[in-house]
Amino acid sequence: MDFLFGNILHGLAVAMTPANLGLCLVGCVLGTLIGVLPGLGPTATVAMLMPVTFWLDPTGALIMMAGVFYGSQYGGSTTAILVNLPGESSSVVTCLDGYAMARQGRAGAALAIAALASLFAGTVTTFLIAWAGPAIASVALKFQSPDYVAVMVLGLVAAVVLAHGSVLKAVAMILLGIFLGLIGTDVSTSEQRFTFGLDTLFDGIGFVPLSMGLFGLAEIMINLETGAEGNRTRVAINRLWPTRRDFREATPAAIRGTLLGSFLGILPGGGSTIPSFAAYSLEKKLARDPSRFGRGAVEGVAAPEAANNAGAQACFIPMLSLGIPPNAVMALMVGAMMVHGIQPGPQIIQKQPDLFWGLVASMWIGNFMLVVLNLPLIWIWVKLLEVPYRFLFPAVIVLCGIGVYSLDNRLSDVVLMAFFGVFGYGLRKLECEPAPLLLGFILGPLLEENFRRSLMLTGGDASVFLTRPISLSFLVVSALLLVAVLLPAFRARREQWTEES
Amino acid sequence: MIRSAGFRDVLASLGSLARGGLALGAVAGAAFLPSLVAAQAFPSQPVSLVVPWPAGGGSDIAMRLLADGATRRMGVPVVVVNKPGAGGTVGLKEVAQSKPDGYTLAMLATGALFAQYNNPAANALSDFDLIAFFGDDPSALTANAKTGFKTVADFVAAAKASPGRLRNGNDQPGGTSHVTVSLLEKALGVRVVKVPYAGYAPTVQALLAGELDTVTVGVPDVLQHQQAGTVQMLGVAATQRHFLAPDVPTFREQGIDFVAGTWRVIIGPRGIPADRLAILESRLLETMNDPEFKAKARTAGFIVSPLGRADTARRLAAEDAAMYPVFLEAGLVKTRQK
Repeated sequence: MDFLFGNILHGLAVAMTPANLGLCLVGCVLGTLIGVLPGLGPTATVAMLMPVTFWLDPTGALIMMAGVFYGSQYGGSTTAILVNLPGESSSVVTCLDGYAMARQGRAGAALAIAALASLFAGTVTTFLIAWAGPAIASVALKFQSPDYVAVMVLGLVAAVVLAHGSVLKAVAMILLGIFLGLIGTDVSTSEQRFTFGLDTLFDGIGFVPLSMGLFGLAEIMINLETGAEGNRTRVAINRLWPTRRDFREATPAAIRGTLLGSFLGILPGGGSTIPSFAAYSLEKKLARDPSRFGRGAVEGVAAPEAANNAGAQACFIPMLSLGIPPNAVMALMVGAMMVHGIQPGPQIIQKQPDLFWGLVASMWIGNFMLVVLNLPLIWIWVKLLEVPYRFLFPAVIVLCGIGVYSLDNRLSDVVLMAFFGVFGYGLRKLECEPAPLLLGFILGPLLEENFRRSLMLTGGDASVFLTRPISLSFLVVSALLLVAVLLPAFRARREQWTEES
Repeated sequence: MIRSAGFRDVLASLGSLARGGLALGAVAGAAFLPSLVAAQAFPSQPVSLVVPWPAGGGSDIAMRLLADGATRRMGVPVVVVNKPGAGGTVGLKEVAQSKPDGYTLAMLATGALFAQYNNPAANALSDFDLIAFFGDDPSALTANAKTGFKTVADFVAAAKASPGRLRNGNDQPGGTSHVTVSLLEKALGVRVVKVPYAGYAPTVQALLAGELDTVTVGVPDVLQHQQAGTVQMLGVAATQRHFLAPDVPTFREQGIDFVAGTWRVIIGPRGIPADRLAILESRLLETMNDPEFKAKARTAGFIVSPLGRADTARRLAAEDAAMYPVFLEAGLVKTRQK
């Protein structure tokens, strides 16, 4: 423990220099801003900051870039809660209950819970990185392709739980999501699938245009149809701060979300999106009364917000200690280090103690800055809800358009977003929920890729899924969950919840 | 597709406005804005350098360094614009269709050679004016330390003892590291299982997780693990040893004539006026030959070996001659068959 605190103190000394504090603040403010702007994500922002980092001390540069990344996790929930528009892909599930809370006049409470859950997760994960980063990274190295297959299977089975209506429709949505995920170039053969020869579809459909269309634009259309103008302003905003009961319900959820997020964040392809979905499903599964979910359950905000922040910080672990970036932002940070001749990897802690501990300590400082920054802002955000909808929605649509375009500088992504907006409106009319679709979209292609690779590695021997302990245990859990879903008694209870909702 | 140029430009400028604002906010205090004095001679306005790959990859970093250096040589801002998609095809197509006035340039890498045969929508290399060669990023054959391989000969012996059993990690068919291992199989007369991964980071992770015996990725991708002793680089596919791994011999030193990897070329749309082409060529060569730039690029792990237009054309023709048979054999040639 002395080792740990000695190092953290060393890190704090590095992170507390005026220059590094300033850079951390710049990163956090930028992160919050881009988080709030829908679609404009941390990847594009960190990329734009790259040239600046050529001229900065590497530690300061990384502190700033990291601030943008985890800062955006704070900001991303804001629009999700206020206007049902995920600012980041990791805030998609926050829409479900966060927006429901806002509609009940509890937007302030939802925003505060989101910020505090993020702070909690950020603090825990900072210590986790400091204490066991390299050890945890080695766990990720135990995972081989068959194990990923089993994890994805579990994820897909759990996706059914995400839905709060008909199981049949949830399964249909998952399958549709998997199908959408198959569009594009196949990794195993380089063949194009379902692209109709369009360049736009060559790399598949982007997650951001898909999720912004299905959630944000579809919501706007529904609101316009039902005359949201009236019922929106009628809801009184009673209080900004969460109640004691909110805290009681949110705390255990935030703890579970943090644990899940830090675990899923370290796996390749990890980051903050899958953890937020997983945490939400888990909360719904554990809840005594799952029918509250989707209607303003505090846990439905606390758990995914804790999970996405924990995931965002945990993915620094494989990046720093293995040199393996699990997502695009981490790849950029590896790039920023390489420009300065620093190779992230197993020896970084010994070779660059200032950089490693300074960065870790700055995350903790940054998380406090973010809460201080965000709590007073809640008041302003909530005021935003009083803006007449006829002024609000065109602004939101324009911001979405800019955000989606800025991802890859492609107009076709904006067209895709519009298409999925209309598509999402249709789904809403059919009472099909988009969340399981998105999970199928993320997990389906990963499942296929790893499944085919597993068979390629074993020369076609499918028993590998049952002989590897990791994959076997995940498959057993999936089977149990499946049985639970299909059990008649369980089904009766489900129907009961559905009636209630 | 709705592709009205006007609307696209409006969106583009909106996008860059938003980005400009952000970037400005970030550099406030540490400002290093170059002087924007517009001379009448070429170039008199900002030059965009399209990188048809996402931000953060090797190509992106190399081009950002180049843009940074070229900005000072050219006297106008050289701005990197990431236009990823379809293995570089999307960004390059946009450049091919842009006005050949010398203000829109792009980076083209090994993958474009493949795309022109595999993707009917891709541009042929003849749609572009070659301007300068940036450098090579040689591939290396790297084994998991547990295999016990120390040299290329160890690898060949094991591969011949059990043909088609060793597992090599690479990218998807047609990708640089896939082409590398295919060429290597030919050069060594062996056969391995070519396991595809979506990118180099998961490939290296799989090597460390013990799922693979070897990988054929770039030297910087495996360097740290070589130093940590978990992997062993068997040979570097270059004419000289890589400065980051001076202890690892090349294939040639081990008696095998094998050179492969990623190379990067600066191009523009076909039809840039000869005088502008000459200015661009000399400014870019000056930038890349500048010792300060070379040192910076070297720190970042890049070998910069600038070539002018004529040499670049010769080099690309040679690459094409070597790789086309590999694509053909793998059944990947779908268009422009020779």
